[in-house]
Amino acid sequence: MKRETISEHLEAEGISRREFMSYCGVLAGALGLSQVAPLAASGLPADLGRPATVLQRNLTETVARALETKPRQPVIWLEFQDCAGCTEAITRSTSPTLVELILNKMALNYHETLFAAAGHQAEAARADAMEKYAGEYLLVVEGSVPVGDPGFCTIGGRTAEDILREAARGAAAVISVGSCASFGGLPAANPNPTGARSAADILSGTTVVNIPGCPAIPEATTGVLTHFLVFGELPELDDLNRPTAFYGTTIHDRCLRRPFYDEGKFANSFDDEGARKGWCLYKLGCKGPTTYNACAVLKWNGGVSFPIESGHPCLGCSQPDFWDNGGFYQGQSSIIGPPGLGSAATAVGIGAVVGAGVAAVNIAKRRDKGEDS
Amino acid sequence: MNWTDFLRFARGPLMGAALVVFAAGISYRLVRVVALGWSRGRAPARAADKTVGVLRTYLRGLGIFPFIPWVKQTFRGNAVTFLAGGLFHFGLLVIVFLGTAHMLVWKSLLGFGWPTVALPIIDGLAAATIVAMVALLINRLTHPVLRRLSGTSEFANLIVVFLPMLTGWIMAHHLWFRYEVIFGLHVASVALLLVWIPFSRLSHFVFYFFSRTSHGIEFGKRGVTP
Repeated sequence: MKRETISEHLEAEGISRREFMSYCGVLAGALGLSQVAPLAASGLPADLGRPATVLQRNLTETVARALETKPRQPVIWLEFQDCAGCTEAITRSTSPTLVELILNKMALNYHETLFAAAGHQAEAARADAMEKYAGEYLLVVEGSVPVGDPGFCTIGGRTAEDILREAARGAAAVISVGSCASFGGLPAANPNPTGARSAADILSGTTVVNIPGCPAIPEATTGVLTHFLVFGELPELDDLNRPTAFYGTTIHDRCLRRPFYDEGKFANSFDDEGARKGWCLYKLGCKGPTTYNACAVLKWNGGVSFPIESGHPCLGCSQPDFWDNGGFYQGQSSIIGPPGLGSAATAVGIGAVVGAGVAAVNIAKRRDKGEDS
Repeated sequence: MNWTDFLRFARGPLMGAALVVFAAGISYRLVRVVALGWSRGRAPARAADKTVGVLRTYLRGLGIFPFIPWVKQTFRGNAVTFLAGGLFHFGLLVIVFLGTAHMLVWKSLLGFGWPTVALPIIDGLAAATIVAMVALLINRLTHPVLRRLSGTSEFANLIVVFLPMLTGWIMAHHLWFRYEVIFGLHVASVALLLVWIPFSRLSHFVFYFFSRTSHGIEFGKRGVTP
């Protein structure tokens, strides 16, 4: 049976054509489509050299054509060793909102936190969706997978690794949402008691899109989902498989406090004059220069603010192993786990002993030759 | 290993190992120098104010000689060595101790920090220091006497010092490389420098102060020098 397209679904919901096109325009803007490569592959001319208004109209048409011809995208959302923070964040997404995504463009077939069903019913729903939409559904992973001791995360009597491998086999694409699924995150922090691994570690050989962050920026998540919906393929990715549209620049490069960094005006504590004047937080341990994310541009809570704007240095939560990359309030250039006084003393001692030994041999040699008077 | 992992490796185990080798190497060299012994004073000094001698030596060496060209033969002998060498040392010390990112490295080692100089000033000094290093290299290649005195180790010294300067400058200007790539390379080049210092003439970075002090004590003595 032919599945209902998104525009048919919207029409049935009472959305007018004008509202539909307006919505497609907003969506095209939210996707940052002028920056993504697959535009040319979508069938419409890229027209990147044309004035912005023409470009925007074509982008809107691209989105509209996709929504008019495609059925709603089935999604299976797995949660493993996580705090559900990424789900919490996405429920507060603004463009497009999760509500819009679920009601109009996506069919969220399985999601433990948002599901009304529970227990065996929920598991049966997942199995049904996997069978019905085999090869079509998007698999979203939230949380890391314990490999060291699978007992830390079993659902319905099955291990997280088992569930992930099974679900990934029939998926059109796999998307890791949050730092835990992308890089192991907090559960993988030293000493990693559960043997936590990222989804990409488990699914080696499969391209897994990473949308890291603690939590992931909801607009980045919905943006990637919508991109797949519109173009039928994954967005352009960087070397850590992060979508470049959202992870192309560092926090530092787009930071509103950047001019103060360049001028050398820093807050030295959280309550000094510099902090009150909104100066750069670099000396308080800001990891902005090495953190790739869109916080400084998209911000949070519908563009209200982001940590640095609110007065706290960036923790670098979207970078791999951020928890083990030195203290949160240590400088971003500081040495990670520097050798202690004990190691330094041992090194000095070894140097001195070797030096004394070599010197003694040399003195003895000189004596033998009778050079020493 | 991707570049993010490399940066973490460079900031962590690599720098840690380089610091340990640096400490061991300096200690080794110092013991070797001390073990060479002092020549016996055959004519005891009539009087000795060692503290004044040391202070005067430091004042001359760091405060007067570098800024009054005609005191030293170096300026007349080779003005490039005097000017570019002086500028290089001044720039390097200011950048290493008063650059904000560098101060935070010291803070992570020592546990306390200090005020720093604004980036544009550090940036200008870094550019001047790089130009000075290039001038020193050209001088070394073209000066008839220096050229004959220069071997592999002299040029290696120049390269090992030049690499952190160059990578640091490229990083500060976000040129050509992604930040974590050039940051990792910068830290790795500093690690190489740290390992290199004790076993090359760059050890004057530390030994300058020992020899100045030792000479100062001698200069503080009054009497006949044997």
